[in-house]
Amino acid sequence: MIRQQKHFLPGKYIRVIAACLIAIAFLFPLYISWNTSLLTKQNLFTYPPHLLPNWDFDNYIRAWHMGAWLMYFGNSLFITLTTLAIALTTSVLAAYALSMLHFKGREWLFFAILFVLMVPAEALLIPNYIILNMMHLINTYWAQILPYGASAFGVFLLRQVFLSIPSSYWDAARLDGAGHMRFLWSIALPMARPTLYTIGLYISIGAWNSFMWPLMVTSSPNVQPIEVEVSRLMISNSVDWRRLSAIGVFATIPLVIVFLVLQKYIIQGISRGEGIQG
Amino acid sequence: MLNISRVRVGTSTSGTPAKTSPKDGWRAFLLLLPAFAFVFIFVYLPAGMSLVLGFFHYHLAGVDTTFGGLTDFKEALTYPVFWIAVRNTLYYALLMIPTTLIGAVLIAFLIQKQTRIYAIIRTAVLLPYITPVIATTISWLWMFNPQYGVLNAFLGLFHIPPSQWLLSPAMAMPSVALYSLWHNLGFAVVIVLAALGNVPKPVMEAAAIEGCNSWQRFWKILLPFLSPTLFFLVIITSITTFQAFSQVYALSGGLGGPEYATTTLLLLLYQTAFQYFHFSYAATMAIFLVLIILIFTLIQNWLAKRWVFYD
Repeated sequence: MIRQQKHFLPGKYIRVIAACLIAIAFLFPLYISWNTSLLTKQNLFTYPPHLLPNWDFDNYIRAWHMGAWLMYFGNSLFITLTTLAIALTTSVLAAYALSMLHFKGREWLFFAILFVLMVPAEALLIPNYIILNMMHLINTYWAQILPYGASAFGVFLLRQVFLSIPSSYWDAARLDGAGHMRFLWSIALPMARPTLYTIGLYISIGAWNSFMWPLMVTSSPNVQPIEVEVSRLMISNSVDWRRLSAIGVFATIPLVIVFLVLQKYIIQGISRGEGIQG
Repeated sequence: MLNISRVRVGTSTSGTPAKTSPKDGWRAFLLLLPAFAFVFIFVYLPAGMSLVLGFFHYHLAGVDTTFGGLTDFKEALTYPVFWIAVRNTLYYALLMIPTTLIGAVLIAFLIQKQTRIYAIIRTAVLLPYITPVIATTISWLWMFNPQYGVLNAFLGLFHIPPSQWLLSPAMAMPSVALYSLWHNLGFAVVIVLAALGNVPKPVMEAAAIEGCNSWQRFWKILLPFLSPTLFFLVIITSITTFQAFSQVYALSGGLGGPEYATTTLLLLLYQTAFQYFHFSYAATMAIFLVLIILIFTLIQNWLAKRWVFYD
């Protein structure tokens, strides 16, 4: 045993060092963005690259004045929160009906929801554009919200939770005079809280980070999310890299904060396979 | 922790009497209506439309829609860029799937210990996954810069000649894959970590006592245990790579270049529909994309029957 331990020690350090190098590799691109955003002009075009910031916050001030960032942030926030509210509500109601109520065709309707997960999203792009065009919703917030108004995976996960509630709870609640809505609000939802957080988080991150769909269905900056405006500046190829990096940093920071605070639920979500939507 | 491959889509496990009542029927109708309204309008209806759209010449602005038969399919099949896009999409998937699997397994093994330092490292590995793609490609575009970028500087340390990265037709797609790997690998690592947590300890201990070295334990015991998870990862990775759009768009300046080297099917679909306004042609491409995904999934399922071990 002693010999084995002695033999094992250097291995342990190599493992920690290798793991740290991997962590650094994953954080490094984020650092580069932050570093570039704080360089002076002379230090931007140098070889080898300048890897320590000059603390030139002027880039941030100039980047801030380059666009109506508050408006784009506001757009992203409105789209995200509205999608979240609608999708969570529809999922909760549907999951409740598919687990706590008993009616003919329940299993069939559940499979009709599950089937949604099997439809490849890319087949729906063009038809959905045409549908929204017929509804005169192109170039509005709603074009970016309504297609995500129901979450099949949300229904699936919430139904699993509701099915695990012992039937004696419902019997007791009914004896006390509670109806279904009361039971859902006071008993079922509190019991499903971790799952709600997970689903909510994935709907929100998906909505905030969505890019292709807003790019397709909007053309006016007034309703576009921040990602689309950032891509426009990027592609115009006319913006100083330091300012572009500053923009990248302030578009990324809200998500980094959300991640650090709610990491537990994000990891739970991935382990359950929720990331499919992302 | 739950794993999608282990979740059973079973019928009710709750003990409520499974009697159907007309009152419940009405309630259920009201509760299901909102979700099904969205699902019908934005999933079922467009899914049906996608099947027929390719046969018509659809115009957005009032011009009559005419029946085009198979002309759009023919046009797609004889358009050289379409085939380049098919090839690029498959190439991208082939770059991503093995690297994601091997990378995820290696990193998960390295950082699976439940101590504080490894918890911090796990956070770092997963962090890129939730960052917005467009905002973080800014950083990578600068890192890929052939003259001033940090990647060539890094290669220079080892006296490796600089690469043109995104500017070279040969390196452009691997460069995009490198970005995607950075962005998505954390997701795969977390999935493998969850599966590793489910491997029964006694089995590993018994194997160690029986004299299996760690190499044998990995190949003979852990890998079979992990195989359903790895199969799940292959499917998820292929779906996400076939859907890759944002990173390709951002890293190629919206063009899919140089020389069509990063034009994936979805990017071509976007350009066809929203830059050339040829909607039915784009819908035809979507059908081909779905067919490719279908064939890929069937092949994967066939392979899985031979390789995946279910307990």
